[in-house]
Amino acid sequence: METAPLLDRNFLEKLERLTIHWQKSFAGLVGGHNPSRFSGGGQEFLDHRQFHHGDDLRAVNWRAYMRLDKMFLKMFQIEPRVPIRMLIDTSVSMAAGDGSKFLYARKLAAALCYVGLVRHDAIAIHPFSTHIGEGKRCGGGRHRFSPVMEYFEGLACTGKTDFTAVVREFISTIAQRGLLIVISDFLDDTSQCERALQYLADFGHEVFLIQLWTEEDRVPPWTGELELEDGETKRLVKIQFDEEARERYTASFDAFSTSIQQLALRNDGKYVGVSTTQPLEDIVFGTLVRSRGIA
Amino acid sequence: MFFANLGIGQFLALFGAVSALSVVLYLLDRSRRRVVVSTLRFWVAAEQPTAVVRRKHIQQPFSLLLQLLSMLLLLLAIAQLRLGTEGGQPRRHVLILETSAWMNARAGRQTLMDRARDRARAYVRALPSGDMVMLVRADALATPATAFEASHRKVENAIADSQPSSTSLNLEQALAFARNVQSANGQRGEVVFVGSGRVAAGESATTDVPKNLRVLPVADTVENAGIRKIGLKRSTTDPDVWDIYVSVKNFGLRQRDVGLAVAVANMPAGSQRLSLPAGAEREASFTYRTRAAGILQARLFPGDAFPDDDRASVQLPALQTLQVTVYTNEPDLLRPFLDANPQVTAVFRPVSQYASNDKGLVVLDRFRPPMRPEGDAIWIDPPPALPPVPIRARVTNPESIRWTSDNSLGAGLRARDVRLESASVFTTAPGDIKVAEVDAGPIIVARPGAKKTVVLGFHPALSGMRYELATPLLFANILHWIAPDTFRAKEISAQSIGTVNIALDTQISPEKVHVSREDGSPVPFTLQGRSLHFFSGAPGTARVTVGDHESVYSLSLPELGETRWQPPGGTRYGLPTFRENAASSHDLWQIFAILGGAGLLLEWLLYGRFTRIMGKARNLLKWPISLRKAS
Repeated sequence: METAPLLDRNFLEKLERLTIHWQKSFAGLVGGHNPSRFSGGGQEFLDHRQFHHGDDLRAVNWRAYMRLDKMFLKMFQIEPRVPIRMLIDTSVSMAAGDGSKFLYARKLAAALCYVGLVRHDAIAIHPFSTHIGEGKRCGGGRHRFSPVMEYFEGLACTGKTDFTAVVREFISTIAQRGLLIVISDFLDDTSQCERALQYLADFGHEVFLIQLWTEEDRVPPWTGELELEDGETKRLVKIQFDEEARERYTASFDAFSTSIQQLALRNDGKYVGVSTTQPLEDIVFGTLVRSRGIA
Repeated sequence: MFFANLGIGQFLALFGAVSALSVVLYLLDRSRRRVVVSTLRFWVAAEQPTAVVRRKHIQQPFSLLLQLLSMLLLLLAIAQLRLGTEGGQPRRHVLILETSAWMNARAGRQTLMDRARDRARAYVRALPSGDMVMLVRADALATPATAFEASHRKVENAIADSQPSSTSLNLEQALAFARNVQSANGQRGEVVFVGSGRVAAGESATTDVPKNLRVLPVADTVENAGIRKIGLKRSTTDPDVWDIYVSVKNFGLRQRDVGLAVAVANMPAGSQRLSLPAGAEREASFTYRTRAAGILQARLFPGDAFPDDDRASVQLPALQTLQVTVYTNEPDLLRPFLDANPQVTAVFRPVSQYASNDKGLVVLDRFRPPMRPEGDAIWIDPPPALPPVPIRARVTNPESIRWTSDNSLGAGLRARDVRLESASVFTTAPGDIKVAEVDAGPIIVARPGAKKTVVLGFHPALSGMRYELATPLLFANILHWIAPDTFRAKEISAQSIGTVNIALDTQISPEKVHVSREDGSPVPFTLQGRSLHFFSGAPGTARVTVGDHESVYSLSLPELGETRWQPPGGTRYGLPTFRENAASSHDLWQIFAILGGAGLLLEWLLYGRFTRIMGKARNLLKWPISLRKAS
């Protein structure tokens, strides 16, 4: 049976006017604040893209306009680029409940990849749970997006989250600093994820933390006697859950989210908390833009 | 204390089922559920003690008790628990209020209807407050005006809205309806009849009455003489003259001398004085000459207390005529046949003045026009060239004529041994009607269709038929066949609304009978032998067509009963005096319903989803505040 693609064409067209932003300057790499792809003449021509409101009219290909009656923008290559790396959580906790968290994570990651591809950024995708899984490198324009989509569609949830092990493995194998986007629920029962994330920042990466949760994660709807099973560790707990306990649960969850957010801000990074009930388009064009993660 | 709606067994069974269902749902709702979660860290942080190994089945006993108590209260409300003795159980009465036409009669300053309303209202007010009443308006039909209504004010409003109709009382039907309604509800109560009880003659001894019948008679000493029927038809000797018959009846108990005046289009047409003994019916006849349409009015004077039947009117139609244009060079031959009929207006013209667009019927005497007539036509001995019906041969001295009597064209034609010198024999087509034949074939042919055509193979006035009676009869049949609406016999009568019974001359199949209203819509009817019956509950006109005979019934007179109904022995009369046992019985269902609803609401607020909703709302409010604090 044919399944629907993660992202539809209309949404992808809207993404074309966005750019992934970062703040830090990395030694030997161009980019930085990267407000525009078009740094002037003399650069090597790369590709065309659709003209959007606000684009520089000087870069419009007027010949193409005369022939096709459509406005295209000329894009030029600047190398070497700051690498963008994306860590996407594929632990079992992401599939808890109806699995909407993992689907949402893949959609969001695919959308960010497309934004990067349109701008000819070099993007490396690294799935992780207990260890870093087989990744995917992409770059070279929007026409390379189809393999990326297939890659995300093929991802599955497995294993427990172990941020410490993952970060250790990541730092030891990848020496080049850059922008690091982490899409996860940050629910790690094995180790302290805050400490591991701090390692990443200390190593020199600019961290962009995107925390995903479902409504059940934040405000459990159940009441009464519950037999809880941890999706990752399979540990069982029998508890009596009432309204007061629910309030304490939510307060604890919010405190955890706040700690993740503070970690990111403390290290000149960015943080976005996303509930899966929010539409993806609102997150990309609203929350992410407001956080200055993309513009 | 007793239940008004349910028995104690039914109540206990219902409460048992509802309680069992509540307990099962409660246990299911609070049974331990296994849930797979993303992490346990926040659950542990919630610092909730882990559940004991031995589960308590009832964890929130007050919630369950509150639910069960609320259900009990709601069921008590449904069962209508009443405080008092069971003797106070409400009764269901059927109040039959006569609304026949006779109730419009005046007795002093009031009408009989006003008196009946007063009596009905007095009965309703005499009832205990809990008793329910169904009001049935009774005339020719029994029509319930309310259901069994506990609100006596609504019943009184329905009584006030009751008005006399135009039909007479069918008491037997009303009593049967009341008995059926009461037995279907299985409750105690009375059947009460309020009215004058004036019914048709056959109903005066109705004995099949309910045992719980009570009669509240309305005093009826009204002297009334009224018009029963008006019959009109055109005179058989002179179609311009209407024969008018007016039937008048004295319904009272004393002899009356009344005057009867008839006018057409406000012009006096005659008057007579009638002496009417008590209960007698007399008929007066008048004649009036007119071809024009108009309204005939009949009036009785002096008036009486029931004016509705002192005056009647009926619409007279104009005399219809058929215009005939005869193209002949010898008009005197045909003039006697056409001038004999007063409904025929004949114009004779020479053949040289022929025009094909003449209105009405065209007669072509031995003449073939250049263009055929646009309407109906009679061809008399047409020339052989291009006749309307192909001529097979011309025969001389044929054998005697044979008439076909299986159609209206040959009806009554008996002339035999008529000698014809010569005649054209026609070749008929399918559908053609052979009116007369000789051995060689048909010599008179009629062709039906949009344009009706009759072809005669000889000239009747130039043959041996000239002095036969069959000749004018043949022309009359032909004219009647060509224009049946013009020559259709009409009878007009004005009579009372309600059931109309018509005695037919011959037994006839229902397919040939049509009964319709003024607007052409059909009226259902029954045909039993030679009797035709139909019903009209409102004033109007009904048209009955039987073959070529049409009767128009102007149903405008009120239908009156002829005799007074005599209730059987044992019937109760007058207003009842009910024991005030119902006063000791109080209806508590409203209180139970409110308490039950309040109990369920309280349970929902204390233990139900309300607390979860409020918890969610609080969490939603806290989330942005905590984020702001963090940033």
